Amino acid sequence: MVKTKSKIEEEIQAIFNSDKPWVTIVWDDPVNLMTYVTYVFMELFGYPKERATELMLKVHNDGKAIVSTGSREEMEHDVARLHEFGLWATLQRGDQAL
Amino acid sequence: MNEESGFTRHGNNAFIAQFSESEREVLINLAGQIIELLSERADHGDEDPLAAMVGITTHDSPPDDDVLLRLLPNAYADGVDAAEFRRYTESVLRNKKKAHAMSMRVLLKSAQDGGIELDHDNALAWLGAINDIRLALGVRLNVQERSHDELELLAPDDPLRGVYAVYSWLGWLQESLLQALMDDSPNEVN
Repeated sequence: MVKTKSKIEEEIQAIFNSDKPWVTIVWDDPVNLMTYVTYVFMELFGYPKERATELMLKVHNDGKAIVSTGSREEMEHDVARLHEFGLWATLQRGDQAL
Repeated sequence: MNEESGFTRHGNNAFIAQFSESEREVLINLAGQIIELLSERADHGDEDPLAAMVGITTHDSPPDDDVLLRLLPNAYADGVDAAEFRRYTESVLRNKKKAHAMSMRVLLKSAQDGGIELDHDNALAWLGAINDIRLALGVRLNVQERSHDELELLAPDDPLRGVYAVYSWLGWLQESLLQALMDDSPNEVN
């Protein structure tokens, strides 16, 4: 799918252009309820319900999703808060293969 | 608890539930177990008291216990980075999780009649505490490997059957609290 590919390239380009080379990734977990994961994204990141639901579904369907991007310090902060609420999260450089 | 209700929203910032005595006891007990588990550390011996005061621990290895490892996961795939992050953050994370469970336990203990009323902040703590308990039970039930159908079919004499019943009930309870929190049109505006 050409369209999907170019969208991914755009996202990668955006990561490099934005001076925010780190990403927070949430991994799928069979315990956490879908509603709970959505609500945590809304509460911690202030995402609207639609965006939070979209990210939750990406985690659920693809096994993982990038939920925030920023500096290393910002991503460590995000991961710590996600861990506080029991989501399985890691951070890494945005240019590392996901 | 009334199977139909769970938590319901009252006005803008009140989330109310009524627990039976046995439900209350189960929740108090499980919250206590989580607090106890999060207070444990095998290699505490050479803790530097000054470092401990500011939340830095001398250990940086992931917990041996599977439940603790799920509650306190690695933040990096890379072992060196994960160890460094753990050294500076694990004790803070433990304390935050303990605070969630304590908030739940204290409220339940003081609610002799089983009636609970949460505001938004308390509700968040409860969501986190219930989730930690479900994560812990999920490890014991090996939810990672087993399907829900498999767990539904556990033999009546299987000791895990009771664990699964509590795990499912907590999922239902958490869902009811989430629905109440996300309900934009409260049925009872005060």
